Amino acid sequence: MSSLHKVFLDTIHEQRTFGVNGPAHQRLMAVQTTFADDIEVLNFALTLEHLEAAFYQLAPEYDLGTDAFGISINDRVAEVGAHEVAHVDVLTQVITDLGGEPVAAAEYDFGVTDSLSFLNTAAVLENVGVSAYDGAAQFIENADLLTAAGSIVAVEARHASYLNLITGASPFPASFETPLTPDEVLEAAGPFFVPAS
Amino acid sequence: MSTKQHTYEAMIQTALNTRMHEVSRRSLLRNAAIAGGSIAAMGTIGFASAQDATPVEGAETEESPFASPVDVLNYALTLEHLENAFYRDGLAEIGEAGITELGFDATVFEKVTEIGVHENDHVVTLTQVITDLGGTPVEEAVYDFGYTDAAGFLGVALALEDTGVGAYQGAAQFLIEEDGLLTAALTIHGVEARHAAYLAILNEGNPFPEAFNPSLTPDEVLEIATPFFVS
Repeated sequence: MSSLHKVFLDTIHEQRTFGVNGPAHQRLMAVQTTFADDIEVLNFALTLEHLEAAFYQLAPEYDLGTDAFGISINDRVAEVGAHEVAHVDVLTQVITDLGGEPVAAAEYDFGVTDSLSFLNTAAVLENVGVSAYDGAAQFIENADLLTAAGSIVAVEARHASYLNLITGASPFPASFETPLTPDEVLEAAGPFFVPAS
Repeated sequence: MSTKQHTYEAMIQTALNTRMHEVSRRSLLRNAAIAGGSIAAMGTIGFASAQDATPVEGAETEESPFASPVDVLNYALTLEHLENAFYRDGLAEIGEAGITELGFDATVFEKVTEIGVHENDHVVTLTQVITDLGGTPVEEAVYDFGYTDAAGFLGVALALEDTGVGAYQGAAQFLIEEDGLLTAALTIHGVEARHAAYLAILNEGNPFPEAFNPSLTPDEVLEIATPFFVS
Protein backbone atom coordinates (compact mmCIF):
# COMPACT_ATOMS: atom_id res chain seq x y z
CA MET A 1 0.00 0.00 0.00
CA SER A 2 2.76 2.34 -1.00
CA SER A 3 0.58 5.08 -2.38
CA LEU A 4 -3.01 5.97 -2.74
CA HIS A 5 -3.16 5.82 -6.48
CA LYS A 6 -1.99 2.22 -6.32
CA VAL A 7 -4.65 1.53 -3.73
CA PHE A 8 -7.14 3.32 -5.91
CA LEU A 9 -6.43 1.10 -8.89
CA ASP A 10 -6.03 -2.11 -6.90
CA THR A 11 -9.28 -1.44 -5.18
CA ILE A 12 -11.07 -0.90 -8.42
CA HIS A 13 -9.69 -4.17 -9.78
CA GLU A 14 -10.71 -6.09 -6.70
CA GLN A 15 -14.09 -4.47 -6.62
CA ARG A 16 -14.73 -5.59 -10.14
CA THR A 17 -13.61 -9.09 -9.24
CA PHE A 18 -15.24 -9.61 -5.87
CA GLY A 19 -18.07 -7.12 -5.77
CA VAL A 20 -18.53 -4.35 -3.26
CA ASN A 21 -18.54 -6.68 -0.27
CA GLY A 22 -15.25 -8.34 -1.18
CA PRO A 23 -11.74 -7.57 0.05
CA ALA A 24 -11.62 -4.37 -1.98
CA HIS A 25 -14.47 -2.90 -0.04
CA GLN A 26 -12.79 -3.79 3.25
CA ARG A 27 -9.52 -2.35 2.08
CA LEU A 28 -11.25 0.75 0.92
CA MET A 29 -12.73 1.27 4.33
CA ALA A 30 -9.24 0.99 5.78
CA VAL A 31 -7.81 3.58 3.43
CA GLN A 32 -7.40 6.93 5.03
CA THR A 33 -8.94 9.66 2.97
CA THR A 34 -5.64 11.42 2.85
CA PHE A 35 -2.40 11.50 0.94
CA ALA A 36 1.16 11.02 2.15
CA ASP A 37 2.55 13.85 0.06
CA ASP A 38 1.91 16.11 -2.91
CA ILE A 39 3.07 13.43 -5.35
CA GLU A 40 0.23 11.18 -4.24
CA VAL A 41 -2.30 13.93 -4.72
CA LEU A 42 -0.91 14.61 -8.17
CA ASN A 43 -1.06 10.92 -9.04
CA PHE A 44 -4.66 10.80 -7.91
CA ALA A 45 -5.36 13.69 -10.27
CA LEU A 46 -3.36 12.03 -13.03
CA THR A 47 -5.41 8.84 -12.63
CA LEU A 48 -8.53 10.83 -13.46
CA GLU A 49 -6.91 12.80 -16.24
CA HIS A 50 -5.80 9.55 -17.92
CA LEU A 51 -9.38 8.33 -17.68
CA GLU A 52 -10.71 11.50 -19.29
CA ALA A 53 -8.02 11.66 -21.97
CA ALA A 54 -8.73 8.06 -22.99
CA PHE A 55 -12.45 8.72 -23.06
CA TYR A 56 -12.24 11.59 -25.55
CA GLN A 57 -10.27 9.44 -27.96
CA LEU A 58 -13.64 7.82 -28.67
CA ALA A 59 -15.20 11.10 -29.79
CA PRO A 60 -14.50 10.81 -33.53
CA GLU A 61 -16.62 7.62 -33.61
CA TYR A 62 -19.75 9.66 -32.94
CA ASP A 63 -21.51 12.40 -34.84
CA LEU A 64 -22.36 14.75 -32.01
CA GLY A 65 -24.14 17.36 -34.10
CA THR A 66 -24.18 21.09 -33.47
CA ASP A 67 -25.09 23.00 -30.35
CA ALA A 68 -27.83 25.63 -30.01
CA PHE A 69 -25.36 28.26 -31.19
CA GLY A 70 -24.50 26.42 -34.38
CA ILE A 71 -21.07 25.26 -33.22
CA SER A 72 -19.94 21.71 -33.98
CA ILE A 73 -20.04 19.71 -30.78
CA ASN A 74 -17.35 17.41 -32.16
CA ASP A 75 -15.07 20.46 -32.48
CA ARG A 76 -15.77 21.55 -28.91
CA VAL A 77 -15.29 18.04 -27.57
CA ALA A 78 -11.99 17.75 -29.46
CA GLU A 79 -10.82 20.83 -27.56
CA VAL A 80 -11.90 19.28 -24.28
CA GLY A 81 -9.96 16.13 -25.17
CA ALA A 82 -6.87 18.18 -26.01
CA HIS A 83 -7.10 19.87 -22.62
CA GLU A 84 -7.20 16.53 -20.85
CA VAL A 85 -4.11 15.41 -22.76
CA ALA A 86 -2.37 18.64 -21.74
CA HIS A 87 -3.30 17.92 -18.11
CA VAL A 88 -1.90 14.39 -18.39
CA ASP A 89 1.33 15.70 -19.88
CA VAL A 90 1.88 18.41 -17.27
CA LEU A 91 1.01 16.19 -14.31
CA THR A 92 3.24 13.40 -15.62
CA GLN A 93 6.11 15.85 -16.05
CA VAL A 94 5.72 17.42 -12.64
CA ILE A 95 5.43 14.09 -10.83
CA THR A 96 8.58 12.92 -12.63
CA ASP A 97 10.42 16.14 -11.81
CA LEU A 98 9.47 15.76 -8.17
CA GLY A 99 11.04 12.29 -8.14
CA GLY A 100 7.75 10.41 -8.16
CA GLU A 101 6.49 7.69 -10.44
CA PRO A 102 3.60 8.89 -12.58
CA VAL A 103 0.70 6.45 -12.70
CA ALA A 104 0.18 4.97 -16.17
CA ALA A 105 -3.04 4.89 -18.14
CA ALA A 106 -5.22 1.88 -17.40
CA GLU A 107 -7.72 -0.05 -19.47
CA TYR A 108 -11.18 1.43 -19.49
CA ASP A 109 -14.69 0.51 -20.48
CA PHE A 110 -17.01 3.50 -20.73
CA GLY A 111 -20.04 1.60 -21.89
CA VAL A 112 -20.71 4.19 -24.58
CA THR A 113 -23.07 3.01 -27.31
CA ASP A 114 -24.16 6.20 -29.09
CA SER A 115 -23.78 9.98 -29.26
CA LEU A 116 -26.13 10.57 -26.36
CA SER A 117 -24.41 8.15 -24.01
CA PHE A 118 -21.06 9.58 -25.07
CA LEU A 119 -22.09 13.10 -24.08
CA ASN A 120 -23.78 11.97 -20.88
CA THR A 121 -20.66 10.05 -19.86
CA ALA A 122 -18.51 13.06 -20.72
CA ALA A 123 -20.65 15.20 -18.43
CA VAL A 124 -20.31 12.66 -15.61
CA LEU A 125 -16.52 12.53 -15.99
CA GLU A 126 -16.16 16.31 -15.95
CA ASN A 127 -18.45 16.86 -12.99
CA VAL A 128 -16.72 14.12 -11.01
CA GLY A 129 -13.38 15.64 -12.00
CA VAL A 130 -14.33 18.99 -10.50
CA SER A 131 -15.49 17.36 -7.29
CA ALA A 132 -12.35 15.22 -7.09
CA TYR A 133 -10.01 18.20 -7.35
CA ASP A 134 -12.11 20.19 -4.89
CA GLY A 135 -11.93 17.34 -2.39
CA ALA A 136 -8.22 16.68 -2.82
CA ALA A 137 -6.88 20.25 -2.99
CA GLN A 138 -6.71 20.57 0.79
CA PHE A 139 -4.04 17.86 0.86
CA ILE A 140 -1.64 19.81 -1.35
CA GLU A 141 1.12 21.39 0.70
CA ASN A 142 2.97 23.39 -1.93
CA ALA A 143 1.35 26.71 -2.79
CA ASP A 144 2.41 26.69 -6.45
CA LEU A 145 1.06 23.18 -6.97
CA LEU A 146 -2.19 24.26 -5.36
CA THR A 147 -2.48 27.15 -7.79
CA ALA A 148 -1.69 24.84 -10.69
CA ALA A 149 -4.37 22.40 -9.53
CA GLY A 150 -6.75 25.35 -9.36
CA SER A 151 -5.95 26.22 -12.96
CA ILE A 152 -6.95 22.68 -13.97
CA VAL A 153 -10.11 22.36 -11.90
CA ALA A 154 -11.45 25.63 -13.32
CA VAL A 155 -11.11 24.21 -16.80
CA GLU A 156 -12.85 21.00 -15.76
CA ALA A 157 -15.67 23.16 -14.40
CA ARG A 158 -15.87 25.00 -17.71
CA HIS A 159 -16.05 21.66 -19.53
CA ALA A 160 -18.74 20.46 -17.10
CA SER A 161 -20.76 23.62 -17.65
CA TYR A 162 -20.74 23.16 -21.42
CA LEU A 163 -21.46 19.43 -21.32
CA ASN A 164 -24.29 19.90 -18.85
CA LEU A 165 -25.76 22.55 -21.10
CA ILE A 166 -25.74 20.46 -24.25
CA THR A 167 -27.10 17.40 -22.43
CA GLY A 168 -30.04 19.39 -21.10
CA ALA A 169 -28.85 19.76 -17.51
CA SER A 170 -28.15 23.01 -15.72
CA PRO A 171 -24.63 24.23 -16.51
CA PHE A 172 -24.35 25.39 -12.89
CA PRO A 173 -26.72 23.24 -10.83
CA ALA A 174 -25.77 24.64 -7.43
CA SER A 175 -24.25 27.74 -5.81
CA PHE A 176 -21.36 25.64 -4.54
CA GLU A 177 -19.51 22.68 -6.02
CA THR A 178 -19.68 19.38 -4.15
CA PRO A 179 -16.24 18.16 -3.09
CA LEU A 180 -15.85 14.39 -3.17
CA THR A 181 -13.48 12.36 -1.03
CA PRO A 182 -11.15 9.98 -2.88
CA ASP A 183 -13.43 7.14 -1.71
CA GLU A 184 -16.42 8.78 -3.32
CA VAL A 185 -14.47 9.45 -6.50
CA LEU A 186 -13.55 5.78 -6.54
CA GLU A 187 -17.18 4.83 -6.30
CA ALA A 188 -18.11 7.15 -9.17
CA ALA A 189 -15.21 6.35 -11.48
CA GLY A 190 -14.54 2.72 -10.51
CA PRO A 191 -16.96 1.16 -13.00
CA PHE A 192 -14.99 2.65 -15.90
CA PHE A 193 -11.85 0.69 -15.02
CA VAL A 194 -11.42 -2.74 -16.58
CA PRO A 195 -10.04 -5.21 -14.04
CA ALA A 196 -6.54 -6.51 -14.68
CA SER A 197 -6.69 -10.03 -16.04
CA MET B 1 17.48 27.46 -5.48
CA SER B 2 16.64 23.81 -5.05
CA THR B 3 15.67 21.46 -7.83
CA LYS B 4 12.21 21.26 -6.33
CA GLN B 5 11.76 24.97 -6.56
CA HIS B 6 12.88 24.88 -10.16
CA THR B 7 10.30 22.20 -10.79
CA TYR B 8 7.50 24.14 -9.21
CA GLU B 9 8.43 27.18 -11.20
CA ALA B 10 8.50 25.18 -14.39
CA MET B 11 5.05 23.79 -13.71
CA ILE B 12 3.63 27.14 -12.87
CA GLN B 13 5.08 28.55 -16.02
CA THR B 14 3.59 25.77 -18.05
CA ALA B 15 0.28 26.06 -16.34
CA LEU B 16 -0.06 29.76 -15.93
CA ASN B 17 2.06 31.45 -18.55
CA THR B 18 -0.89 32.09 -20.76
CA ARG B 19 -2.62 34.86 -22.54
CA MET B 20 -4.08 35.97 -19.22
CA HIS B 21 -7.39 37.70 -18.88
CA GLU B 22 -7.21 39.50 -22.23
CA VAL B 23 -10.95 39.37 -22.65
CA SER B 24 -11.59 40.61 -19.14
CA ARG B 25 -9.18 43.43 -19.57
CA ARG B 26 -10.67 44.61 -22.84
CA SER B 27 -14.19 44.71 -21.49
CA LEU B 28 -13.13 46.29 -18.25
CA LEU B 29 -10.86 48.91 -19.70
CA ARG B 30 -13.74 49.96 -21.87
CA ASN B 31 -15.61 50.74 -18.69
CA ALA B 32 -12.75 52.43 -16.93
CA ALA B 33 -13.34 55.80 -18.54
CA ILE B 34 -17.04 55.67 -17.82
CA ALA B 35 -17.01 54.52 -14.24
CA GLY B 36 -14.06 56.57 -13.09
CA GLY B 37 -13.73 54.86 -9.73
CA SER B 38 -10.76 55.44 -7.53
CA ILE B 39 -8.24 53.23 -5.80
CA ALA B 40 -9.37 54.81 -2.56
CA ALA B 41 -12.78 53.30 -3.12
CA MET B 42 -11.17 49.90 -2.92
CA GLY B 43 -10.12 50.56 0.67
CA THR B 44 -12.81 48.16 1.78
CA ILE B 45 -11.12 45.34 -0.05
CA GLY B 46 -9.08 44.51 3.02
CA PHE B 47 -5.57 44.22 1.67
CA ALA B 48 -2.86 44.17 4.26
CA SER B 49 -0.04 46.53 3.51
CA ALA B 50 3.21 44.98 2.39
CA GLN B 51 4.83 45.98 5.67
CA ASP B 52 2.32 43.92 7.60
CA ALA B 53 3.15 40.74 5.78
CA THR B 54 5.43 38.43 7.67
CA PRO B 55 8.69 38.00 5.79
CA VAL B 56 9.29 34.42 4.77
CA GLU B 57 12.65 32.76 4.22
CA GLY B 58 13.44 32.07 0.59
CA ALA B 59 12.91 34.38 -2.33
CA GLU B 60 10.57 31.94 -4.10
CA THR B 61 7.99 31.97 -1.35
CA GLU B 62 5.38 34.49 -2.25
CA GLU B 63 4.50 36.83 0.57
CA SER B 64 0.84 36.88 1.30
CA PRO B 65 -0.76 40.24 0.67
CA PHE B 66 -3.35 39.22 3.25
CA ALA B 67 -2.79 39.51 6.98
CA SER B 68 -5.23 36.75 7.86
CA PRO B 69 -7.68 34.24 6.40
CA VAL B 70 -10.47 36.71 7.17
CA ASP B 71 -8.76 39.21 4.87
CA VAL B 72 -8.73 36.64 2.07
CA LEU B 73 -12.43 36.00 2.61
CA ASN B 74 -13.17 39.73 2.64
CA TYR B 75 -11.30 40.03 -0.64
CA ALA B 76 -13.59 37.33 -2.06
CA LEU B 77 -16.64 38.99 -0.50
CA THR B 78 -15.70 42.31 -2.11
CA LEU B 79 -15.89 40.64 -5.52
CA GLU B 80 -19.07 38.75 -4.69
CA HIS B 81 -20.78 41.98 -3.65
CA LEU B 82 -19.75 43.46 -6.96
CA GLU B 83 -21.19 40.51 -8.89
CA ASN B 84 -24.34 40.27 -6.79
CA ALA B 85 -25.18 43.94 -7.27
CA PHE B 86 -24.39 43.67 -10.97
CA TYR B 87 -26.91 40.89 -11.63
CA ARG B 88 -29.54 42.10 -9.17
CA ASP B 89 -29.69 45.64 -10.53
CA GLY B 90 -28.82 44.84 -14.12
CA LEU B 91 -31.42 42.13 -14.61
CA ALA B 92 -34.09 44.32 -13.03
CA GLU B 93 -33.18 47.07 -15.45
CA ILE B 94 -32.84 44.99 -18.60
CA GLY B 95 -35.59 42.51 -17.91
CA GLU B 96 -36.35 39.34 -19.80
CA ALA B 97 -37.23 41.43 -22.86
CA GLY B 98 -33.72 42.87 -23.01
CA ILE B 99 -32.27 39.37 -23.25
CA THR B 100 -34.80 37.95 -25.69
CA GLU B 101 -34.39 40.98 -27.95
CA LEU B 102 -30.83 39.79 -28.50
CA GLY B 103 -32.29 36.67 -30.06
CA PHE B 104 -31.97 34.42 -27.03
CA ASP B 105 -34.86 32.37 -25.74
CA ALA B 106 -36.35 32.88 -22.29
CA THR B 107 -34.21 30.15 -20.72
CA VAL B 108 -31.18 32.41 -21.12
CA PHE B 109 -32.79 35.01 -18.87
CA GLU B 110 -33.60 32.28 -16.37
CA LYS B 111 -30.03 31.00 -16.37
CA VAL B 112 -28.49 34.44 -15.96
CA THR B 113 -30.95 35.05 -13.13
CA GLU B 114 -29.75 31.79 -11.60
CA ILE B 115 -26.16 33.08 -11.78
CA GLY B 116 -27.30 36.14 -9.82
CA VAL B 117 -28.86 33.87 -7.19
CA HIS B 118 -25.55 32.05 -6.84
CA GLU B 119 -23.66 35.31 -6.31
CA ASN B 120 -26.15 36.28 -3.64
CA ASP B 121 -25.64 32.88 -1.97
CA HIS B 122 -21.88 33.48 -2.04
CA VAL B 123 -22.33 36.89 -0.40
CA VAL B 124 -24.53 35.43 2.33
CA THR B 125 -22.20 32.52 3.04
CA LEU B 126 -18.98 34.55 3.05
CA THR B 127 -20.58 37.19 5.27
CA GLN B 128 -21.64 34.49 7.71
CA VAL B 129 -18.25 32.77 7.76
CA ILE B 130 -16.35 36.04 8.26
CA THR B 131 -18.70 36.94 11.10
CA ASP B 132 -18.31 33.50 12.67
CA LEU B 133 -14.54 33.92 12.54
CA GLY B 134 -14.83 37.19 14.46
CA GLY B 135 -14.13 39.38 11.44
CA THR B 136 -16.03 42.32 10.02
CA PRO B 137 -17.54 41.52 6.63
CA VAL B 138 -17.08 44.21 3.99
CA GLU B 139 -20.29 45.77 2.80
CA GLU B 140 -21.66 46.37 -0.63
CA ALA B 141 -20.35 49.53 -2.29
CA VAL B 142 -21.80 51.73 -5.03
CA TYR B 143 -20.84 50.59 -8.50
CA ASP B 144 -21.06 51.76 -12.06
CA PHE B 145 -20.67 48.99 -14.61
CA GLY B 146 -20.79 51.27 -17.60
CA TYR B 147 -22.92 49.14 -19.92
CA THR B 148 -25.68 50.80 -21.89
CA ASP B 149 -27.61 47.83 -23.27
CA ALA B 150 -28.26 44.12 -22.78
CA ALA B 151 -25.37 43.07 -24.99
CA GLY B 152 -23.05 45.28 -22.97
CA PHE B 153 -24.46 43.77 -19.79
CA LEU B 154 -23.60 40.25 -20.97
CA GLY B 155 -20.10 41.41 -21.92
CA VAL B 156 -19.46 42.83 -18.47
CA ALA B 157 -20.96 39.68 -16.92
CA LEU B 158 -18.36 37.56 -18.70
CA ALA B 159 -15.56 39.88 -17.63
CA LEU B 160 -16.70 39.75 -14.01
CA GLU B 161 -16.92 35.96 -14.00
CA ASP B 162 -13.54 35.47 -15.68
CA THR B 163 -12.04 37.85 -13.15
CA GLY B 164 -13.74 36.00 -10.32
CA VAL B 165 -12.33 32.65 -11.41
CA GLY B 166 -8.82 34.10 -11.71
CA ALA B 167 -9.14 35.91 -8.39
CA TYR B 168 -10.17 32.83 -6.40
CA GLN B 169 -7.49 30.80 -8.12
CA GLY B 170 -4.79 33.34 -7.33
CA ALA B 171 -5.88 33.75 -3.72
CA ALA B 172 -6.44 30.06 -2.87
CA GLN B 173 -2.76 29.62 -2.00
CA PHE B 174 -3.21 32.10 0.86
CA LEU B 175 -5.70 29.70 2.46
CA ILE B 176 -3.35 26.72 2.18
CA GLU B 177 -3.14 26.42 5.97
CA GLU B 178 -6.93 26.54 6.34
CA ASP B 179 -8.22 23.29 4.84
CA GLY B 180 -11.90 24.01 5.40
CA LEU B 181 -11.79 27.55 4.09
CA LEU B 182 -9.66 26.51 1.14
CA THR B 183 -12.14 23.83 0.13
CA ALA B 184 -15.04 26.23 0.56
CA ALA B 185 -13.32 28.83 -1.60
CA LEU B 186 -12.70 26.23 -4.30
CA THR B 187 -16.34 25.20 -4.31
CA ILE B 188 -17.14 28.80 -5.21
CA HIS B 189 -14.27 29.02 -7.71
CA GLY B 190 -15.68 26.09 -9.70
CA VAL B 191 -19.12 27.66 -9.90
CA GLU B 192 -17.66 30.96 -11.13
CA ALA B 193 -15.87 28.95 -13.84
CA ARG B 194 -19.17 27.34 -14.85
CA HIS B 195 -20.77 30.78 -15.05
CA ALA B 196 -17.84 32.07 -17.10
CA ALA B 197 -18.12 29.22 -19.60
CA TYR B 198 -21.83 29.79 -20.10
CA LEU B 199 -21.42 33.55 -20.49
CA ALA B 200 -18.58 33.00 -22.96
CA ILE B 201 -21.01 31.03 -25.11
CA LEU B 202 -23.58 33.85 -24.93
CA ASN B 203 -20.83 36.26 -25.99
CA GLU B 204 -19.97 33.99 -28.92
CA GLY B 205 -16.66 33.10 -27.34
CA ASN B 206 -14.99 29.86 -26.38
CA PRO B 207 -16.30 28.41 -23.09
CA PHE B 208 -12.87 26.91 -22.36
CA PRO B 209 -10.25 28.88 -24.29
CA GLU B 210 -7.24 27.27 -22.65
CA ALA B 211 -6.15 24.00 -21.03
CA PHE B 212 -5.15 25.90 -17.88
CA ASN B 213 -7.22 28.75 -16.51
CA PRO B 214 -5.22 31.94 -15.86
CA SER B 215 -4.77 33.03 -12.25
CA LEU B 216 -4.91 36.65 -11.20
CA THR B 217 -2.94 38.24 -8.38
CA PRO B 218 -4.79 40.57 -6.01
CA ASP B 219 -3.00 43.49 -7.68
CA GLU B 220 -4.26 42.42 -11.09
CA VAL B 221 -7.79 42.00 -9.77
CA LEU B 222 -7.59 45.41 -8.16
CA GLU B 223 -6.60 46.96 -11.46
CA ILE B 224 -9.48 45.27 -13.28
CA ALA B 225 -12.20 45.89 -10.69
CA THR B 226 -11.36 49.37 -9.47
CA PRO B 227 -13.07 51.18 -12.36
CA PHE B 228 -16.39 49.70 -11.26
CA PHE B 229 -16.26 51.30 -7.82
CA VAL B 230 -17.98 54.65 -7.43
CA SER B 231 -17.71 54.71 -3.66
